[in-house]
Amino acid sequence: MLTKLLKYDLKYMLKNMSVFYILAIFFAITTRILFALNQTVIVKIISQISVGCLFAMLANILINTMMRSWVRFRGSIYKDEAYLTHTLPVTKNEIYDSKLIQTLIFFFVGFAIIILGLLIAYYTEERWLWLKSLIDSITTGLSIKTGTFIACTIGIIFLEVFNAIQCGFLGIIWGHQQYNNRIAFSVLYGFVAYLLSQSLVLFLTYVVGLFNPTIMDLFKNNIMLDTTAFKTLTILAIILYVIIIFIMRFICKHEFNKGVNIE
Amino acid sequence: MGLIEIKNLTKKYDKKVALNNVNLNIPRGKIVGLLGKNGAGKTTLIKLINDLLTPTSGEILINGNKVGVETKKIISYLPEKTYLNTQMKVSEVITYFEDFYEDFDAQKAKKLLKDLDLDVNEHLSKMSKGMQEKVQLVLVMSRNADLYILDEPLGGVDPATRDYILDTILSNFKENASVIISTHLISDIERILDEVVFIDKGKIVLQSDADKLRKTENASIDEVFRRSFKC
Repeated sequence: MLTKLLKYDLKYMLKNMSVFYILAIFFAITTRILFALNQTVIVKIISQISVGCLFAMLANILINTMMRSWVRFRGSIYKDEAYLTHTLPVTKNEIYDSKLIQTLIFFFVGFAIIILGLLIAYYTEERWLWLKSLIDSITTGLSIKTGTFIACTIGIIFLEVFNAIQCGFLGIIWGHQQYNNRIAFSVLYGFVAYLLSQSLVLFLTYVVGLFNPTIMDLFKNNIMLDTTAFKTLTILAIILYVIIIFIMRFICKHEFNKGVNIE
Repeated sequence: MGLIEIKNLTKKYDKKVALNNVNLNIPRGKIVGLLGKNGAGKTTLIKLINDLLTPTSGEILINGNKVGVETKKIISYLPEKTYLNTQMKVSEVITYFEDFYEDFDAQKAKKLLKDLDLDVNEHLSKMSKGMQEKVQLVLVMSRNADLYILDEPLGGVDPATRDYILDTILSNFKENASVIISTHLISDIERILDEVVFIDKGKIVLQSDADKLRKTENASIDEVFRRSFKC
């Protein structure tokens, strides 16, 4: 049943997000074409407008994915559509997982569209080599492989987004356990959940710092991290985020399984 | 064992008591009218049976099971509200129901939609509220469920269509299935009821066989209701 739920959740998101994907690619193409033209004053003005629209669309893809996921979560679980959602022969865990997986998939799609849009608009061999040398200089300084660096960066971003989405979901669940001002409470609880999760990451980092002087230096001195400390911190961040995500997922499901009260 | 057994069910909204220690037994193979004034607790009771509300205390058993996946497989529920995703076409909603409900009969749904002059290729967003309600009723009645729960099925419908809806209900539920109909329009549904349940201020005040009630009170159920709940 999870796959069936997911199929419809993905369809819904695709219907709503595809217009932004198309617009982003459209403005990426116009930007590229306009920059290739003879740069008269008018072309320059239109180019800048196109660049503005492109970046607005790229930012919009990320913001909209997150906002729509929360709106979809609330809409199908607590608003009129809930009358259908909660009468389907599916478990609450399946409903929750479907919403979460759908959001994560669309974040990946969103990132892919952003990279594609930037490549269409700005790719030249020169720029590609500049980017490569920039990443190489960072990875050489940190003495790690380029692949590892990119994987870790994407991994941490992904985990951070994962955590933020779940904090939003938890806020909505807690907010709708109230009988009044449910939206206001949802926002408030979501914000509190996010602050708590970040505080927990910080606290656990401090605890690890008690046994690792290089990590403790982060709290005691205002210094740049050395290579070893940076690597340790990256691994630590990934582990801590995974732990927090599991804790958050457990709390969300536990609270959701307590039941709903649809207006 | 009844199809629905409700024991000591209480539901409070914050401090307001919507249902107070309700005990109710709904048998199989009956059409039951759940009747009461506005705010009496009819919809609250129905929502609790459908897992849309969480009880404060008490127990609901449907076919011997607590409310959950197993009970949702055998309940076909028509809420008061229009709940379908309006971005979908009617045909997509039919596929949706086919995907999730094993007992859903798509051919029956298409036939009933045709009878009501509803186009399966139309988007729900382009339909009026009344048309969307008809689509919902068709979807609900196209399931071969053990229990149909219809909350105000005649509410937003013109009198001419009411008869068609009542006939649809009567001719589309399987043998030994039960139907619970909650409504204010008692005179319209009276003819199809086997049993009536009166609910007032969150309590069940009467449960009786419809014919027996008419006989003992020497009046229609509508009149009995009016007498009982006179303001």
